Amino acid sequence: MLKMASSFPEEVLEHVFSFLQSDGDRNSISMVCKSWYEIERWCRRRIFVGNCYAVSPRILIRRFPDVRSITLKGKPHFADFNLVPEGWGGYVYPWIVALASAYPWLEEIRLKRMVVTDESLELIAKSFKNFKLLVLSSCEGFSTDGLASIAANCRNLQELDLHESDVEDLSGRWLSHFPDTYTSLVSLNIACLGSEVSFSALERLVGRCPNLRSLRLHRAVPLDRLSNLLHRAPQLVELGTGAYSAELRPDVLSNLSSALSACRELKSLSGFWDVVPTYLPAVYSICPGLTSLNLSYAIIQSPDLIKLVSQCPNLQRLWVLDYIEDVGLDALAVSCKDLRELRVFPSDPFVLEANVSLTEQGLISVSEGCPKLQSVLYFCRQMSNEALITIARNQPNFTCFRLCIIEPRTPDYLTLEPLDVGFGAIVEHCKDLTRLSVSGLLTDRAFEYIGTYGKKLEMLSLAFAGDSDLGLHHVLSGCDNLRKLEIRDCPFGDKALLANAAKLETMRSLWMSSCSVSYGACKLLGQKLPRLNVEVIDERGHPASRPESLPVEKLYIYRSVAGPRFDMPNFVWTMDENSALRLT
Amino acid sequence: MELQLGLALPANNNFPTKGGLDLNINDFPYHPTITDSNNNKNKKRSFVQAFESSNATSTVPRTLPWLLWNNQPNDDDDDDDTKYNSRYTIMVKNEEDGLVGWPPIKSWRKETCFHIHGDGGVRHNRSVEVNGGGVSTFVKVKMEGVGIARKIDLSLHHSFETLVRTLMHMFDKCQMDSDNYELTYQDREGDWLLADDHDVPWRTFMRSVQRLKLLKRMSSTY
Repeated sequence: MLKMASSFPEEVLEHVFSFLQSDGDRNSISMVCKSWYEIERWCRRRIFVGNCYAVSPRILIRRFPDVRSITLKGKPHFADFNLVPEGWGGYVYPWIVALASAYPWLEEIRLKRMVVTDESLELIAKSFKNFKLLVLSSCEGFSTDGLASIAANCRNLQELDLHESDVEDLSGRWLSHFPDTYTSLVSLNIACLGSEVSFSALERLVGRCPNLRSLRLHRAVPLDRLSNLLHRAPQLVELGTGAYSAELRPDVLSNLSSALSACRELKSLSGFWDVVPTYLPAVYSICPGLTSLNLSYAIIQSPDLIKLVSQCPNLQRLWVLDYIEDVGLDALAVSCKDLRELRVFPSDPFVLEANVSLTEQGLISVSEGCPKLQSVLYFCRQMSNEALITIARNQPNFTCFRLCIIEPRTPDYLTLEPLDVGFGAIVEHCKDLTRLSVSGLLTDRAFEYIGTYGKKLEMLSLAFAGDSDLGLHHVLSGCDNLRKLEIRDCPFGDKALLANAAKLETMRSLWMSSCSVSYGACKLLGQKLPRLNVEVIDERGHPASRPESLPVEKLYIYRSVAGPRFDMPNFVWTMDENSALRLT
Repeated sequence: MELQLGLALPANNNFPTKGGLDLNINDFPYHPTITDSNNNKNKKRSFVQAFESSNATSTVPRTLPWLLWNNQPNDDDDDDDTKYNSRYTIMVKNEEDGLVGWPPIKSWRKETCFHIHGDGGVRHNRSVEVNGGGVSTFVKVKMEGVGIARKIDLSLHHSFETLVRTLMHMFDKCQMDSDNYELTYQDREGDWLLADDHDVPWRTFMRSVQRLKLLKRMSSTY
């Protein structure tokens, strides 16, 4: 056998390996034998790091010497909801420094929930001669000055995506830093910016980039400017409008209509801030070709929404506010048989009383009418077990089911019972469910169902649910494929965690905040499991200053080969074998 | 609840080894704290109820012979407090916003969409709707310690007494509890003032109220 392996030239094996892109497959082949490990590591070009603290740049670079594309994720998911205090970490700069010296041919950097400084952006701009793609998703810490560096220096840049990042918007002048010779733009997403950019600079940029496929503008681009841009880029596949309003002039609507109808490739629409419904008909001509529609910032009432979606028979993804109401979702179920993903966001989430008529009925309708529906995010104010059972039976193909009943611990509104049985039906029928977020009144029984049936669950989000450690125990011992578990305000303490300690090494991360895990248990976990970083987050001061049995504010546990991190702020402590010795 | 944990491999080979940590090895004292926080008494079953209910027996997992749960409530919970409503504290960081991070909406979306409805927007807290019968005046009401606000139609009330009684009912409080809360309101200038007969006439209150807040009384002895 050894002879056979060595009789294949490396180049042949490399060529074969190049057909394998998934990390899982690549990890598998690297474990076949030493020579395959060596060949594989030299030809792996794409790296995905789900937790930037799970590995160090040095370890990564040592194993993979020639990387062209890297993805890094920083803060835990609950940072999106302000549960992770400012200064927690997720700094990308040390990574950029290391990558800059090791991978001069790096082409793509994708970052999510990381702190990116202007310094980092400048270093990226100067270090990678063939840099093509920068995606900063939900990042923060940089300003438009950093963007100016990127624009000025990255000659081969194809994609710049600032998806929902928190950018210090100093001015719109950065856009003018793209040189006149720059023509390679394929995708630009600046929807999160605030300042006005020079419209003429934008128009010239769009006009000279023939490969531009995706353009997502920000609110400061008014509707009457949109037509000019569209005339210069009729090849667009994806468009995010700016503010969808203008003074009511007759020519705006007609100009926009004709500009849009010339975009025959358009498949995705988003934006729609400050909508003036009079201008909605401008998009009707392209509706039949749309596969993705994001109206989640659009304050449009149900009748107008119905008119829109009824003309989109090929719609696969819809993000919308609950103004769509049950009646709109009924219409969606009738018109959009190809729907795969639905997200319904709340228009007035901080008040108990419903301002719109959106109930469980809407979700029942779509689950019944849309046979390909796989992914749901649904905010509502009432739910029943009966409805959940119906939904589960209608649509066993769910892979992602996230239900948020706005008031915590809301019971079944018909029976006043917990929603255990309803969610139980979801996990039982949806055998391919990989992501689940639960809400409403739930007892440990719900978690028994989840542990019993949720065998493919990879990510689970819990809030204000459960009665005791038994609930957490069900999840940790039952969900074989669990990778990410995030919990807030649940009565889970030490017992389940300690009883399932080894499980934590099989997961990417565990987040628990406002639960009952004691400092003592955290220390124990940190001491006994060296391959886990057990981090206590407590803004009240060092937990050692209080009795050990008292619960910590927040807890973040993740596996790592890099050991404890050293960039923690003064409200985060790592529990390890030395934690007893460390004073701060 | 008695836990017997060990590091030995379980007898049952059908499930993957899950190491547990023995609480006793390091003489680890376990005193769970029970802190009462949320006032949603009738929405949560008590700890004792939950554990002694028939559900508890059927939820003993079969695949873990070395982890035993008996049916007794936590014997080591030697807390005198009989209210086993919650074993955790909800960290309400910012009273103005209620629960931090709930409902789970990305901060970016909140800022983009809700800055026009935001708490600071005095204008948008009060909405006047003209129905067939007459004009109704809705204002937002928050209660200290409760995450989600309510809305109340002020035009249905003519005195602070009925208003407070209705509010208490809305937040599931009984009459006794009403003594523990005082009603405050925010006027047009953005100032928070006491809302009772001693401090402001009803008519003046009705004209200037933008939103309401129920605060816990600082001291029960005056």
